[in-house]
Amino acid sequence: MPSGTSLDDCRPTLRGRSRRSFLSLLGLGGAAALAGCSAPESDGTVAEPVEYVEGTATGTRTLNFLSVDDNPAVNRVQLALDGAYAVTPEQEIFPLWADISTDEGRVYTVELRDNLEWGAEYGQMTAEDWIYTITEVFQADPNWAGFPNTGDWRQNGEPIPVEKTGRRSFEIQLQSVDPAFPLRPVMWGAFCMPKALIEQYRPGGDQAGLQQDEEVQTLTYAGNLGPYRFERWERESEFVAVRNDEYYLREVDGVPDEWRDAPYFDSYTYQVVPEGSSRLSALRSGELTATDVPETRVEQLEGVDGIDVKVFPQAFMTSLIYNQRSNGSFYEALREPAVRRALAHAVDKEHIVDDVLRGYGNVAHTFQPTFSQWYADDEVTEYGVGDTYGHERARELLESALDPTPYRYDGDRVVDEDDEQVTLDLVFVQGSQAVQTTAQLVAQEYDAVGLDVEITGKEYGTLVEQHVFNSWQGDGDPPWNAGPYNGGPRDGSVSQDPWDLILGVTFNTYPRTPSATRGFTIERGGINFYGYVPETDFGSLFETATGTVDETERGETLAEIFGALSAEQPFNFLNMGVKIVGYDSAVRGPEEVFGYTWNRNTWRLDSA
Amino acid sequence: MGLKWYTARRVAWAGVVAGVILTVTFVLLELAPDSQLASVQFQAAARGGSADAAAEAYARRRGLDGPLWERYVDYLANLATGDWGWSDTRSQPVGEAILTALPYSLMYTVPAVIASTALGISIGLYSAFNQYTKTDYAATFVAFFGISVPNFWFGILLLLVFAVHLGWVPVLFDAELARTHTFSLANARQLALPVFVLGTSAVAGTMRYTRAEALEYVRATFVKAARAKGVSERRILTRHVLRPTLVPLSTILVGDLLGVVLSASYLVEVVFGIPGLGRLSLEAIRRQDTALVLGTTLVPVFVAVVGNLLQDLAYAVLDPRIDYGDR
Repeated sequence: MPSGTSLDDCRPTLRGRSRRSFLSLLGLGGAAALAGCSAPESDGTVAEPVEYVEGTATGTRTLNFLSVDDNPAVNRVQLALDGAYAVTPEQEIFPLWADISTDEGRVYTVELRDNLEWGAEYGQMTAEDWIYTITEVFQADPNWAGFPNTGDWRQNGEPIPVEKTGRRSFEIQLQSVDPAFPLRPVMWGAFCMPKALIEQYRPGGDQAGLQQDEEVQTLTYAGNLGPYRFERWERESEFVAVRNDEYYLREVDGVPDEWRDAPYFDSYTYQVVPEGSSRLSALRSGELTATDVPETRVEQLEGVDGIDVKVFPQAFMTSLIYNQRSNGSFYEALREPAVRRALAHAVDKEHIVDDVLRGYGNVAHTFQPTFSQWYADDEVTEYGVGDTYGHERARELLESALDPTPYRYDGDRVVDEDDEQVTLDLVFVQGSQAVQTTAQLVAQEYDAVGLDVEITGKEYGTLVEQHVFNSWQGDGDPPWNAGPYNGGPRDGSVSQDPWDLILGVTFNTYPRTPSATRGFTIERGGINFYGYVPETDFGSLFETATGTVDETERGETLAEIFGALSAEQPFNFLNMGVKIVGYDSAVRGPEEVFGYTWNRNTWRLDSA
Repeated sequence: MGLKWYTARRVAWAGVVAGVILTVTFVLLELAPDSQLASVQFQAAARGGSADAAAEAYARRRGLDGPLWERYVDYLANLATGDWGWSDTRSQPVGEAILTALPYSLMYTVPAVIASTALGISIGLYSAFNQYTKTDYAATFVAFFGISVPNFWFGILLLLVFAVHLGWVPVLFDAELARTHTFSLANARQLALPVFVLGTSAVAGTMRYTRAEALEYVRATFVKAARAKGVSERRILTRHVLRPTLVPLSTILVGDLLGVVLSASYLVEVVFGIPGLGRLSLEAIRRQDTALVLGTTLVPVFVAVVGNLLQDLAYAVLDPRIDYGDR
């Protein structure tokens, strides 16, 4: 930033932020320099502040990470607080505030760096701060602070013991071996607050007081713990953080060179621009350095000077979910793996990816993306692509698969035991054109194999309330209850309104910690709202996979799991999503890999 | 006494109306499905945690953890003491949120309303005095264009032309600039398009109403008599046509103002990224921020009730035949 000159004073002329926008405003920039709004460097050239401005659709609701951990909040807090450690795309731990280690995979030792200083006179960050935050907030019962992920810090309902082992070190003592623990979003990326700050509110359980605390609202306690300092937060407009010259990583030995001088932007801004077209216009005019681009708009940016579009693989999967609970109109059939396999032959996944998603997605075949190290080609059975897609073949398979069910073919249509045409209710989440078009496409494909489909769009919250939540409708108490998404056995626990197919509820496939998919795939899983009862004993397999530190055994077990899932087709795995971002072409750093933001503090403009 | 009594009764009635609207809004928000809650629960369950515990934590941090009636009584009690509550989707008091957003809305609505009212009335009067001429047809075309063109689309189009291609104005609204340099040229530049878009939609209505009302009087006998007595055209326009025209016109001006503040501003603020009242209330509804929804509901209720009262009082000022003394 120009020395001795406030950015505010120059604001009218420094509105364009990136290199490209400065060029476009060259005339105004010259005027600003004449007015003394730019600082001359030793060689006489004028140094402009290097600003990174990211356009987003929505702002954050808070900077209190103890109560909210959604992406907008975490992204902003992360500018001022690095978090415990990062995970590279190669799934290696990159220590930031701390390193984590273990001998046998059950007890993990966290070692904090020695130069971590809180702001607002809270002193050095110590193990005491972490122990207090974990035990008095993350594990607090009752959950006075409203911490959203209490389950992360508990095992089998009990708090995970944490113990101080030194001024800057503490142990996390798991109940059982978990080699993937460092990759779970528990310690990975975890933030901490000063003990003395939380102590002001803990005794009375004063959540509102904590929420409204000025230091929490402005991150003044962040000290040297992040690459940027909080500058200002205009709600629903912009969040601005400026370069932190005290950043602790500058004084740390053994970090890669690019981290020692990081960050390379004088300020980092999240600019809220609710309208998608306006965001793209701002990217074109150089007022934004980066913003997300919907797949339908990529073509407009291709070939535009000064803009690079990058595509990042993601772990979120879109599936066609089958209702196997007893309130579906075709549930007896959908409970048969052979029927589900036959239906998987009827939907052209490549057509959806190539034409509906315009190529911005990847075909899915199981509950892992192909880039995952746990995805084994030779174990996975593919449906809906190449020879495994075709209406004739689907009809042949469906005809025989329907034998043990009350349904059959009458001519070229599927009918029930009353000889009535089977009509399936497909409910999709409104708001995405791609989802709606996919729903229409599925209806056409199913029609071609003799099944009528009626499609209905619903807002996400309504869809969840009416079709996803389910509860026990039978006599007495349910034999078991796994929560609002799985209220008990599929014959007795059903949703408020019937449905047959759901589209648009995406699932995280957890490629770093694949055993987290357990809740989707076992009968009593917390997410199993579709009433899937597997033929394979996934529970035991997951137990083996999570309980071993032998990487080979783990890999083989997970390969078996994801192979079996592809064969059983609990739902039709359609495609894995991608994130498309348009950047100022001067931006250097983002690589088109999964988890690409881990090193965003080292990104730069090539003129910087 | 009569006018004062009338005014006092109207103000008291406004309090009842505000109470009913607040109650209905409060209950409707409670009944609406909560997408955020669904997401939070889904995320917790997907991570192997308890969806119920996540729902409890969510209710706690959103202040939704008591019975409905208890929360409602608390809210009314706080409101009575001037405390409009805490917006948990913005992490600031509701009063502060409204006071922060209001200036941004005023920055473009006030110029738009003033310009559209002045232009609308002027063009309307001109059209009435020059009925069925080419200029009248041109003004009519402009009016219909302003009414017909969707603000949302028009705003995006203007941004593409004037911001992206010509570079005359910025695409992004700089709230910091607007706050710290309100009366600067740079702020005027970034407000030019929002004012224009809002103005084009508002000017049309005013112009057509003015034209229609003024036509009633242009050929009225008292206007002919005035002309016959040698009264100047300027005096006929301002005293004999404009003044009676303003009586019914004042009715639609309040409606126009409400329309501009409540509906048009939503779209304009979304397209231009202005963090004003429109977006504040839109986001509050979308995120089901009860305190903020109620706070932002009170503002238009106030504008509507007080605006209508002022409009009724204006009748008496504009037309001496109207008197509230016996009501």
